[in-house]
Amino acid sequence: MAKKSVWSDNRFWQRTAGWVTGFASVLLIWLTFDTSAQISMGTDTDLQNGVTKRVPGPTVINYKIAYEFNKKRQHEIPVIGGMNSEGTSAFQEKEKFFGRDDWSEEEAESLLHLGKLASQTKNCMNCHTLLGNGGYYAPDLTKAWLDPAWGPEGSMQAMTSKETKEEAMAEFLQNPSQYPTHARMMPNLGITAEEAKGLVAFLKHLSSIDTNGFPRNFGKIQGAVNGK
Amino acid sequence: MNAMFEPFVDVVPSFFATLSQGPMTLTIFLHTVIILPMFWIYKQEKARLEQEEGN
Repeated sequence: MAKKSVWSDNRFWQRTAGWVTGFASVLLIWLTFDTSAQISMGTDTDLQNGVTKRVPGPTVINYKIAYEFNKKRQHEIPVIGGMNSEGTSAFQEKEKFFGRDDWSEEEAESLLHLGKLASQTKNCMNCHTLLGNGGYYAPDLTKAWLDPAWGPEGSMQAMTSKETKEEAMAEFLQNPSQYPTHARMMPNLGITAEEAKGLVAFLKHLSSIDTNGFPRNFGKIQGAVNGK
Repeated sequence: MNAMFEPFVDVVPSFFATLSQGPMTLTIFLHTVIILPMFWIYKQEKARLEQEEGN
């Protein structure tokens, strides 16, 4: 009788498949918990104590948010409240959001919640992309708050004749069809003033999330790879 | 700096961040958990087959 090869033996492959499947299952369950912990939202206390969280607390809307290239990580990171000597968030510099920089945790949270619900009811993701989810018909909104077009010297802010970024964004969201943007104009979705405020807060918070540099080469933003 | 070994740069140090530092880390990890146990299983099965043939 010819010698049997292990490679053509069923039991060898069964045991290998069993081991790989079992180990992969354990790894994926662990990965789920690891991810949950990493993407859980921070608190106001974290911000006050200078604790960097991947998803900062809702009161991040009280702070100035910038997007700076980090040499160590080789991509852009959100810099909250000014930059420290290590090139990360200093959590010091505040920025008024609709005239206030003292939004309490509860107020900020309910505003963000309203914005999140509004983004779902108005189905922003039908055209826009948020954190990698959604359509590519309209601009990616993940870092929209940081787009200089909405800044003091930006064309969008000038177009709406508003003094601040948040007011300009809220005005545009309420009357998108009034402002010529590009060929694919945003339709009027009947967004109320309060919803618009919530949506802008939602976008500001979104821009403060550390997405490991995603979307890459978001070049229009100052400080980004291809930024000016 | 050589691209094979990079300093650890993720936001939060975690096991999975270590794995995704570069192609090398993942390769070494997968070889450790898949290929090495396969050697072990291979040897066991070979011993079993030889024993069966010997009978």
